[in-house]
Amino acid sequence: MNVLILPGLPLAAAALVWFTRSRPGFAGPIAVGALIATIVLGAWAAVTEPVATLAWSPAIALSLRVDGFARVMVVLVPFISAVVFAYAAVTESDGRARLLALMLAFVAAMLLLVVAADFVTLLIGWELVGATSWALIGHGWRDRANVEAGTQAFLTTRLGDLGLYVAAGAVFAATGSFAFTGLTDAASPWREIVAAGVLLAAAAKSAQVPFSPWLFAAMAGPTPVSALLHSATMVAAGAYLLIRLAPSLAAVTWFLPAITIVGLITALLGGLVALFQTHVKRALAASTSAQYGLMFIAIGAGSSAAAGAQLVTHAAFKSLLFLAAGVAIHATGSMLLGRLRLGRALPFVAAATGVGALALAGLPPLGGAWSKEAIVAAAIETSVALGVATLAAGFLSALYVGRFQLLAFGRGGDNGTRKIRRPTSTELAALAVLAATTIALAILWLPGTANVVASLAGGELTTGSTWEFAASVGLLLGAGLLVILLDRRGRLLDLGVRPSIQAAVGDWLLLPRATSALVVAPTLRLSAALGRADDRVIDAGVRATARIARFVSSLVARRVEFSIDGVVGATAAATMLAAAASRRADDAGVDGAVEATGRGVGLAGHQSRRLQTGQSHHYFVIVAVGLVLIAAILYAAPLIP
Amino acid sequence: MLTLAIFIPIIAAVALAVLPRAGRFAPSERSLRGIATIVAAIPLGLLALAWARFQGGGGFEQVESVDWIPTLGIAYRVGLDGLSLPLAAMTALLFVVSIAYPVDFRGRAIPYLALMLFLEGVSIGLFLALDLFLFFVFWDVSLVAMYFLIGAWGHGDAQRSALKFFIYTFAGSLPLLLAILGLYLATDPRTFDMAEIIRQQPLAGAGLYATLVFAGFFIGFAIKTPMVPVHTWLPPAHVDAPGPASAILAGVLLKMGTYGFIRILMSMLPESWAQFAFPIAILAVISIVYGALVALAQTNLKRLIAYTSVNHMGYVMLGLAAAGAAVTGQEAAQAIALTGATVEMVAHGLITGALFLVCGSILTRGGTYEMGAYGGLLGRARSLTGLTALMAFASLGLPGLAGFVAEVQIFAGTLAIYPVLAAIALLGIVLTAAIFLRMLGTMFLGALPEKWRDFPDLGRVEVVTLGTLAAFVLLIGIVPGWLLGVVDSFAGPFVGRP
Repeated sequence: MNVLILPGLPLAAAALVWFTRSRPGFAGPIAVGALIATIVLGAWAAVTEPVATLAWSPAIALSLRVDGFARVMVVLVPFISAVVFAYAAVTESDGRARLLALMLAFVAAMLLLVVAADFVTLLIGWELVGATSWALIGHGWRDRANVEAGTQAFLTTRLGDLGLYVAAGAVFAATGSFAFTGLTDAASPWREIVAAGVLLAAAAKSAQVPFSPWLFAAMAGPTPVSALLHSATMVAAGAYLLIRLAPSLAAVTWFLPAITIVGLITALLGGLVALFQTHVKRALAASTSAQYGLMFIAIGAGSSAAAGAQLVTHAAFKSLLFLAAGVAIHATGSMLLGRLRLGRALPFVAAATGVGALALAGLPPLGGAWSKEAIVAAAIETSVALGVATLAAGFLSALYVGRFQLLAFGRGGDNGTRKIRRPTSTELAALAVLAATTIALAILWLPGTANVVASLAGGELTTGSTWEFAASVGLLLGAGLLVILLDRRGRLLDLGVRPSIQAAVGDWLLLPRATSALVVAPTLRLSAALGRADDRVIDAGVRATARIARFVSSLVARRVEFSIDGVVGATAAATMLAAAASRRADDAGVDGAVEATGRGVGLAGHQSRRLQTGQSHHYFVIVAVGLVLIAAILYAAPLIP
Repeated sequence: MLTLAIFIPIIAAVALAVLPRAGRFAPSERSLRGIATIVAAIPLGLLALAWARFQGGGGFEQVESVDWIPTLGIAYRVGLDGLSLPLAAMTALLFVVSIAYPVDFRGRAIPYLALMLFLEGVSIGLFLALDLFLFFVFWDVSLVAMYFLIGAWGHGDAQRSALKFFIYTFAGSLPLLLAILGLYLATDPRTFDMAEIIRQQPLAGAGLYATLVFAGFFIGFAIKTPMVPVHTWLPPAHVDAPGPASAILAGVLLKMGTYGFIRILMSMLPESWAQFAFPIAILAVISIVYGALVALAQTNLKRLIAYTSVNHMGYVMLGLAAAGAAVTGQEAAQAIALTGATVEMVAHGLITGALFLVCGSILTRGGTYEMGAYGGLLGRARSLTGLTALMAFASLGLPGLAGFVAEVQIFAGTLAIYPVLAAIALLGIVLTAAIFLRMLGTMFLGALPEKWRDFPDLGRVEVVTLGTLAAFVLLIGIVPGWLLGVVDSFAGPFVGRP
């Protein structure tokens, strides 16, 4: 069996769902069934490690391979997707078949990205993920705001895709092939160029600073789309690529430190943004950036294994949190954190979300705590300062997720009397499966798992010292206490700061406005200015040349007029008159000149409408000009040494 | 057989033109179009046969020649290689689709169809010509046919646009003629035979003389391509031309310029090309970025697509500059740059051709090219939206579609030669993404204005013709092996890849 079946099966299912869209009831079962089949195939592929090659040309071959961390991803991606699809099939009624078909295509693209073993295949999956996300975010296409949000997301990530194009070119220049395997032998400076390109692409896709705001825009999509984008797909692609390629690029000395810095900045800022956000989904989106920041720190610290473990645990608890947010939004019709407090009304949902929140905060013995400890340990081994900063990022994540949990699913409020929409059993089952998965990942704490994780994701795993662990848990408890304290004082939502400051920090510290003012607006201004200049300046030069030619032609025509056929001559004279008239008009000024030229041409054009009757004076004039030019140049040619 | 592919449409055109108009023979416009489509498909079939017989051993194949003016070394010579075969086949396909495409004949179906058939033969002839003189004849005659198509069946200020197109490109063909003569005078024995000139390399080390000849060719081809800053004839010609003529203009006529660059300049004056490769690459990057930026500012759909053509032809030129640059040790990269540039020519022909046909359909239904006048068409016209979106994504270089196959090779190949220029050129693909997503958002998504409540979707013929182009765009995008193999048989030996 060919490895192509991994992306192929969801893609075929997408087509099937699309062509049976007149029966929307079929869409859900087909999609979920196909994804469950893909999980089985993925598991098979993880064991057998298949490879495949597709020749494009004598110079280019696409190669696919399931090895390394791809062995985890080929199971993780369809697994999380299957749960999210089941949820989507019951919650999204507007254009369900289209949504599910697009989501399947999106998963297929993600799987292609995962199994890619060369840069061209990677680019194909990578860009298709971006393009399908455009369609998914703009699913509610009748509202132009959604479409524009999709466009922003696609353009931002495509800007990052340029990095992959550069990396692809550089690796080909260095090795004569696009394959990942040649990367270690790539000579300097190509190696450095590849590293820079890969980092750019990964940072954009994983929503790291300064690209993070696209994830906010992505919130315009339906909730299941957010859950899918943020957990095991799309955003995961950046970290996944680094996990795969970082070992081959270790020779580039600045590469790992650069990844660390990007990750650290995002982890800290993203934590702050999540803490200050008042919009349910955006708080989670900022948290996604921050969590991927932690993975970047781990990769930069040389521990791809810790990053890989975090990627898996994060996929489980973040999809859980997003689906729970969807339930809350559906229940109340509000996306604002201040309007929820559904703990009493939806106790089961609140409990399931609590599991996800605790995993994100890093409470042992949940799996999320294990991967977080592994990251902190790796960071401290790199430098104490980095370790402390990572601990601070962890503290922030505990704070914001605690706030999220209390505000969204805390007890209190008026929910005894509120009328809310209750989730269906399928939605609850989806939450239950993800919560159970989050709990099951506690097996990471079992002795001996470290070796398994390291063999799957590569890199080293460091065992943290006892005091690190104590500090980490202490911070977690402190964060919990702080949240409860703030809640008692009624300050949990606004954190005691002015609304303007809260809004500014919550909106990525005004990063989107800066991007708009520094990049988007100048580009559009330049574009508009060039658009005008193209008509007025460059074409004006052409029009001036045309006037000169017209002048010359009238002279030539006058001379030839008497020697050739009188009819043709008379026609030429008419043109000449028009030319002379427009030439006089030229003197009136530039504007007049342009218009007069237009009239002159219009006059000539009017006659040429009857060209089929044989009035070919235009050609005559042009040929005459041409002959003169040829004669002049041929005459001058021998004079040139 | 190649000769038949060239002359069957030309003969059919002449036959149509002299057909007795009056009397009993008065077929409907529909059946006339049907007949013309069938005739137009014959060269496509013949070229498909030629494709099947293609060996790919380097050099020209399936050559047919007849003496014409032996004293001057002029002969009728046609043949093909891995460069001209895909271009000729794409040309034939695009003509079949364009002729079949519904258009307002303005009551003059016969001359329109005759001109289209004539132009088909001429265009195929240009790509298959192996004689410089023959090449030039086809080159100039194609201008005349296009002039009439725009002038007589265009809209808006069609006469003016047609004249501007004609004079501008004709001005380009004068230096081209001089350059051909200059090259001819340097051959010994004197000949117009392309294969023989390539073998002779008459201007190797010829200094200023070679530079002058180079300049002549360069100006001629650059106007046709068009490269910034000699591109301003393109937008008005496109805007005022009827949809199918626009498709041919963008899809086929522009390719004559880039084809000329490879077939003549790079093959016959490689030294001069290498000498000027870097400035050409800079011009190409300017075309890419400038074309995209100006396109972004357009509100008129057809002008927008016209400027993206400037951008895309910039990619082609960038690939050609890299492929012909004087570097050693990067032959593999140069080969994929050349392959990419050639595939881009084919892909751009199919994609932009389709987009211009779509423009025609939109004008027929909505009466304007202003994008702001539309909105939410997805709700009314699903086929139109789907096919336009597919072509828009192909044009912005989405993988799985033809444009990507070309562009990834151009960028990867160029990066090895001119890393900085390639990196700047890459901005073009972000800009084209912005252009087309904005276009799709403005015209097809959002709320549907009340006045388009009954906006009709594409008809059957439109769906089939555009669908055919879409099928090829997908085929090249997903399994391009059959095309890349043929092109590589030319590109590999051309750059001296070991």
